Amino acid sequence: MSQILQVAAIAMATVGTGAATMTVMKPEIADLAVPEGDWSAGEILDGQSYFIEGVDLDSGTVLLDELVFRDGTFQSVNCQTYCDFGWSDYQTKLVDDVIHFTATTRCPDAPHTVVWYGTVTEDQMQLAGTWTTRRWYWNHQIRFSAEGSTTPPIDPNVTG
Amino acid sequence: MNPSRTSTTKFVVRFLILIAFLVLAAWGVHLIKDALNLEIRPGNEAMVHRSIMLGAVAYIGLLALPFVPGAEIGIAMLAAFGPGIAPLIYVATVASMMLAYTIGRFLPIGALERFLNLLHMQRAAALVARAAPLSGDDRLAMLLDGQSKRAVHIGLKYRYIALAIAVNTPGNSIIGGGGGIMMVAGLSGIFSPVLVFLTIAIAVSPVPLAVLFLGLQLQ
Repeated sequence: MSQILQVAAIAMATVGTGAATMTVMKPEIADLAVPEGDWSAGEILDGQSYFIEGVDLDSGTVLLDELVFRDGTFQSVNCQTYCDFGWSDYQTKLVDDVIHFTATTRCPDAPHTVVWYGTVTEDQMQLAGTWTTRRWYWNHQIRFSAEGSTTPPIDPNVTG
Repeated sequence: MNPSRTSTTKFVVRFLILIAFLVLAAWGVHLIKDALNLEIRPGNEAMVHRSIMLGAVAYIGLLALPFVPGAEIGIAMLAAFGPGIAPLIYVATVASMMLAYTIGRFLPIGALERFLNLLHMQRAAALVARAAPLSGDDRLAMLLDGQSKRAVHIGLKYRYIALAIAVNTPGNSIIGGGGGIMMVAGLSGIFSPVLVFLTIAIAVSPVPLAVLFLGLQLQ
C-alpha cells in the first residue's frame, strides 16, 4: 500500500472513529415533554397576543417576549430576533375550560428546536419551554418558564 | 556544598515553581471565564459555536507541534465550556496525536526539519535532526532520555505502554510534548498505526472522561 493510501486510511479511521465516539459520548438532551392528550390543530387562540415575562431556569436570566397566534400558527417575537423561525403550527386541547397549547418551532438556519407548552385561563397564560441546540459536538439546552397576559406591558419595548 | 543537598534544593524549587505556575494558570482561566461571561444564550450561540470550531482547529494544530503547550488550550476550553465540550476535546486530542504521528511516519525527515525551521521552531527541528541518524529503537530510546538501559529495554519491549505514559507524563514538554513524542514515535517506524491509535485513544481519555462522567471541575 502506498504511503498516500496509508495516510488516507489513518485519516479516515481517525475521523470515522471520532464521529462514532462523538455519537456515543455526547449526552442526549430531550426536548420539553409535552403531556399527551387529545391535541388538535390550533385555532382557539387565533388573533391573540400574549405578553410574557419569564426566567431561564438555570441561569435566572429574565426573558420578555410576545407570543402571537394567527391562522393556526404561532410565533415568538423574541425568538424571531435570533433566527427566522417563521410561523409554526400550534395545537390545542381544552380541559376543564383551560386551553392547553403546544408548538414546536425549528430554526431553518441553525440546529435550534424550541418546544412550547402552555395553558391559558381567561386571558392569563402559564408557559414552559425548552430551547435546544444540537450541534455535532454537543447539545445545549435552555429551560424556561413564564407567565403573562394579553395586556401589553407598560414598557412596550420587548427585549430578550 | 553537598551535591545531593543541592539537587534536592533544585527539585524543591522546581516543584514550588510548578505549583505556583499551576495556581496562576487556574486563576487566569477563572478570570478569563468571568471576563467572557460565557453564558450561552440564543443571541451568542452562533459566536460561541464559531469560537469552539476555531479553538478546536487551533488545538489540533498546536498540540501536534513539538514543544508547543497545546494541551493548555484543551484545558482552557474544558474550563470555559464545561463538561459538554469534553467529547470534542477528546476526539480533537486523538486527532492531533495521530496527525503528529502521521507527519513523523510519512513526511521525509529532511522536509520535516526544514518545515519546523521555517516555523522558527528551532528546538523541534533540532529534535528531528537528532532523531534522523538513529535507528528506530534508538529513536524510541530518545523518548526515555536519561533512563537506565534496563528502563530503555523495558520501554522498547512494552513500547505502547511507554508511549502512553510518555504522552501523559506531566512536564513532557521537556522532551517535545505530546506532539513531539508522537512525531518521534512516527519517525521511529516501530509503531503500527492501528496500535498507536488504540494506545492514544486510551491514553488521552482520563481527563475528558472524568470531566464528562465524574463531573471533574476545571475552574
